[in-house]
Amino acid sequence: MIGPSRVAELDMPAAGVETAAARPAQSYWNQSWERLRANRLGMAAGVLILVLAVIAVLAPVFSAVLTHYQPQTINLDQTFARPGATHLLGSDELGRDSLTRLIWGARVSLGVAFLTVALALTVGTTVGMVAGYYGGWIDDVLMRLVDTVLAIPAIFLFILMSILFRPNAVTLAAIVASVGWGSVARLVRGEVLSVKQRDFILATRSIGARDSRLMVRHLLPNVLPVLIVAASLGVGQIILIEAALDFLGLGIQPPTPSWGNMLTNAQSYFFHSGFLVAFPGITIFVTVLASNIFGNGVRDAFDPRLKG
Amino acid sequence: MTQPLLEVQDLHTVFATRDGTVKAVDGVSFELLAGETLGVVGESGCGKSVTALSIMRLQRPGRIVSGRVLLKGQDLTRMSEYEMREVRGREIAMIFQDPMTSLNPVYRVGWQVAEPTRLHHGWDKKRAMQSAINMLGKVGIPAPESRARDYPHQFSGGMRQRVMIAMGLTTTPEVLIADEPTTALDVTIQAQILELLRHVNREFGTATILITHNLGVVAGMCKRVVVMYAGRIVEAGPTKDVFAHPKHPYTWSLLRSIPRLDAEQHEPLKPIEGMPPNLVDLPSGCSFHPRCAFKVERCARDVPALLQVGESQRAACWVTQAGTELQGA
Amino acid sequence: MLVRYVARRFLASLVVVLGVTLITLILMDRTRGTYVPGIDLNPSLRPEDIEHLRENLGLDRPFYVWYLTWLGSVLHGDFGHSMIDGSPVLSHILDRLPNTLELTATAIVIGVLVAVPLGVIGALRRGSKTDHALTVTSVAGFAVPQFWMGLMLILIFSVTLEQHGLPWLPSSGAFSAFNGGDFLDRVEHLVLPATVLSFFYTSQWSRFIRSSMLEVLSQDYIRTARAKGMSERRVVYLHGLRNALIPLITLIGLELPGLVSGGLVVEVVFGWPGIGKLAFERALQYDYTTVMGVTFFATLLVIAGNLLADLLYGALDPRIRYG
Repeated sequence: MIGPSRVAELDMPAAGVETAAARPAQSYWNQSWERLRANRLGMAAGVLILVLAVIAVLAPVFSAVLTHYQPQTINLDQTFARPGATHLLGSDELGRDSLTRLIWGARVSLGVAFLTVALALTVGTTVGMVAGYYGGWIDDVLMRLVDTVLAIPAIFLFILMSILFRPNAVTLAAIVASVGWGSVARLVRGEVLSVKQRDFILATRSIGARDSRLMVRHLLPNVLPVLIVAASLGVGQIILIEAALDFLGLGIQPPTPSWGNMLTNAQSYFFHSGFLVAFPGITIFVTVLASNIFGNGVRDAFDPRLKG
Repeated sequence: MTQPLLEVQDLHTVFATRDGTVKAVDGVSFELLAGETLGVVGESGCGKSVTALSIMRLQRPGRIVSGRVLLKGQDLTRMSEYEMREVRGREIAMIFQDPMTSLNPVYRVGWQVAEPTRLHHGWDKKRAMQSAINMLGKVGIPAPESRARDYPHQFSGGMRQRVMIAMGLTTTPEVLIADEPTTALDVTIQAQILELLRHVNREFGTATILITHNLGVVAGMCKRVVVMYAGRIVEAGPTKDVFAHPKHPYTWSLLRSIPRLDAEQHEPLKPIEGMPPNLVDLPSGCSFHPRCAFKVERCARDVPALLQVGESQRAACWVTQAGTELQGA
Repeated sequence: MLVRYVARRFLASLVVVLGVTLITLILMDRTRGTYVPGIDLNPSLRPEDIEHLRENLGLDRPFYVWYLTWLGSVLHGDFGHSMIDGSPVLSHILDRLPNTLELTATAIVIGVLVAVPLGVIGALRRGSKTDHALTVTSVAGFAVPQFWMGLMLILIFSVTLEQHGLPWLPSSGAFSAFNGGDFLDRVEHLVLPATVLSFFYTSQWSRFIRSSMLEVLSQDYIRTARAKGMSERRVVYLHGLRNALIPLITLIGLELPGLVSGGLVVEVVFGWPGIGKLAFERALQYDYTTVMGVTFFATLLVIAGNLLADLLYGALDPRIRYG
């Protein structure tokens, strides 16, 4: 950018030059953040997720304040209570308060989802980076491994692993992540391959930087946007998968409440207590919707060209 | 004087952008006589392509806000879309810059070349295909009968451009608009394509508008030339005259900036100073004045009209209209 | 050349199959020590019989022997025997497979038939209210839990309608046990589960078609087509859509795994007698061998599906056929 001092030298009127220098330079991250901030719907969705996460973490506090119930307290003379004063969102077949269980269920559903994403991202990024960076036979072997993992239909694998390992929340996250890392690896490898071509990598290498340093300090920041988008969009999908597994009785077992397992027996009682089917489902829907909208917002913020 | 085949009269085309309205074509007027070759020259962004697209009414998302385009007396800007489709590809054909991306990758070349005659003349498949094969042969594609069954990606860049030309000519249009037809090609192929266009012009009598930023291309091909800058025509006239004694400082600077083989080795290059103007925020008066070596006070105030300067040329410049000759180191 | 392309894809698939067998068996290794097919129903098997059985299956041998034995038997069509009654897994699979394919194929067809028009409309009317409405529906559709949607549909179209004496849709099985089995009956049973299964894919694919169309319509060859003076409809459908559909085939191919397995939840909710429900039922009974056999078989289907999609793509894109 030609500064004011040079203008005099060239003896040119400043018209076009001045307007160009008016806006300050911004980093890619700043620009993306600005774009995200401008997207009101996306930001609202993100805030919602944040609120849900807080509720999940502070579940005991919220349930104590809002409902005064414990999630697993059985109260046989208050079964199937309709939503009202005693039970804000009704109670289930064992008299347990629905709202409390939904709040505590957030812990499970969100907790497993975030943990899964974290695991899948860590493993997937490492594999993808190594494969993309080194190329050659390492790339071939790793990618064949990814192909193999991705070939097995996920839910069958989950069912199989579920009966082999009898999972708790943490192992469930590991099970779901064991398939998820594959797509992440592919994604990261793709990004690395395109970034690898750029000259600054060559330049950094020529000054003798070690491979690991190159990967962490230079490749990783360029790959981060893609990862962030994948994570934001992935959380929603994983919540759905985990809820389905719980619903089938192959995930988190009762009495620990999760949004999915609150629906396992829905078929038997939705005649008379349809609200018991509605609330957990709506909760899942809203959460996943928010995650998807936020994910889309993040993606548009990083690469506005992708917008339709 | 014979009635011109195509007449563009004070055409204005604008684009609405977030930063403001871009006046891509800002009062352009010129004529094209039957059978002649006209060059439209200017740097990227000067509005030459948009002018061509406006003639074809393909300027979307831009808008033609005023002016007329007369083809044999009929105003194309007033036509319905339905009527315009009769004109496109049949009376006026257009070929584009990048032959790689301008042909549909999933259809065979013969089919694509045959399409205009099937659409406009209602010919059946066999007749249209036969004519297409003939045309492919005429534009210099060897073994046209078998090549017609190939797909675009199986042709080289130069061959693809020949296909485009064939496609444009099957309906024997009166006007052919070639928008930078050689820019995306290798230099050696460029010459071949230009020769083909010359040949087409001679043999079919198709009036050709050749749009380019390359002065050398114009010199070889076009009898008359029109120079555009920032959406306006700044000079027009017979190519020989315009190149020998340009009457507009922009043309003059352009010609001067071309490196010459017979120049001294250490002689510095003479680029045009400054940057092309922002089309949303044009300079006042003559758009070129900020970069002009000959400007006077009036240039910043008033927009010069395109008027006769010298015997055969027209130029939009206060200085040359006042009689000054353009000279310099 | 097409032949080379096919051969390459086939070889890659083969490698993946082998990899899958390895993974599956590594997983099963955990239970190797204890399982014996048929033991659940026949606890009175004598220790010698058990030893004999285990020897036959190579269960007490080192891993690689077991692996090869298993591989060998698979190649002969033996996908294992149920731990419950010793019946061959493959026969169960083949019994139920047509049902799954019926459900799956219907869902794909519905998905494409609905998604393509929606996507095209969205692209052509970009930015309009229609477009926004369609986008909102897509995004929302993406967030609905499949099993929950199934439950709600049953609630509305089976239970509530029946309660009010209106004609209602059946909520379980592929056909009625009594007086059923004819075409109309099967279709009735298919409606709800197929709707649920295709819903997710419609949401996804319609957005994809829309962006694919938008990208295609901004290409140079579309400008050329318009310059040739053809109707906008011809430009969009003949020149545009043909190109926009190519990536959809890849997408459908990529979704095939999801379709084979995503059907599982729908099958369970609707009591649809497919291989998904089979795996689920057997899983509840800890019938490891059956679940493993079904998983492996499903994987083979997935790999075959991917290969098919690759070949379709190759057939549709002349750049590959004559590349």
